[in-house]
Amino acid sequence: MNNEMHEKRIPIIKIGNFLIVSIQVDMHDKLAIQLQSQILEEIEKTGAKGVLIDISVLEMVDSFIGRMLSGMASMAAIMDAAVVIVGMQPAVAITLVELGLEMPGVDTALNMEKGMEMLERRLEEEDYEL
Amino acid sequence: MSEKNNIDQKKDRIDHIENVLASVAAGDIDARINSDIEDDLSGIEAAIDLLIDDLTDELKQREKMQKEVEDKLVKIQEQQKVIFQQQSDLLELSSPVSKVWDNVLILPVIGTLDSQRTQVMMENLLEKIVETGCTIAILDITGVPTVDTQVANHLLKTVTSARLLGAECIISGISPAIAQTIVHLGIDLSSIKTKATLQDAMIYAMKQNKRSENVKLQSLFTDYDKREE
Repeated sequence: MNNEMHEKRIPIIKIGNFLIVSIQVDMHDKLAIQLQSQILEEIEKTGAKGVLIDISVLEMVDSFIGRMLSGMASMAAIMDAAVVIVGMQPAVAITLVELGLEMPGVDTALNMEKGMEMLERRLEEEDYEL
Repeated sequence: MSEKNNIDQKKDRIDHIENVLASVAAGDIDARINSDIEDDLSGIEAAIDLLIDDLTDELKQREKMQKEVEDKLVKIQEQQKVIFQQQSDLLELSSPVSKVWDNVLILPVIGTLDSQRTQVMMENLLEKIVETGCTIAILDITGVPTVDTQVANHLLKTVTSARLLGAECIISGISPAIAQTIVHLGIDLSSIKTKATLQDAMIYAMKQNKRSENVKLQSLFTDYDKREE
């Protein structure tokens, strides 16, 4: 059981101040909850300032996953890390909007590069304020 | 003797009537009794002949009308085909998304919007955003005469979906009439960037572009400075 869970872990990669999470398997509810706590733990451990979640491979996002994603953004925000969701498919965006999950307060970017730029810009602005 | 003859003759005539009726029933509409004897039976014979005449007329007329209806049906079906074809052509033609500048897409909307059209429009725009990687999309509704709740809702959905992809969607060219209806309908557009004209929207897009470029340049400079130190 433990082994099985281990196999299905989604890797979280730390680059500089950011964590990169690339979801490349179909998300089911258990995996989503696991990922959520995994990311929050990783934020605490590494002191990351931003999290990039790449969902470009996901063909379908249901209301549970959608809520999980937006919930994670607010959780991470309390822990002083910005979450950017990257590479959402048009069909997924339409589904989420139809479901009424407009994810206010969640930042999004077209691709990983733009998401990274966005986070860097935000960090710089914060530095500037100091 | 003569009475017996008379009865036989009448029997023959009734048989004849029966035969004629049978052949009419079988479809031979030209069969008639055509009796030339004048007595009590001749009235019935004449009446039956008349009824058969009426029946034939009626049948002929019905056939004619049926043919007309069938012709009309074929015509209508052809017209329907043309209408469907034109409708799908129109749908394809009616939502062109073009890239007008680095990072800027424009979707000019002309004519009345219905939900089907808005749906196609929205899908096209989102596909194009992903395809080109543009982060600013301008939805120009100068050419839209009126909107209703449903259409306004669809526009909102388009803008929100674009935001979920990571692009900013600006609506330009909202006419006084549309502004009035939107406020009267109680639709909240405050979360959406709206600009008076396409020109204003373009200027805004350029500024956004410049801003992000400046930030990029700045970060390059700070990197350079750090290395110099």
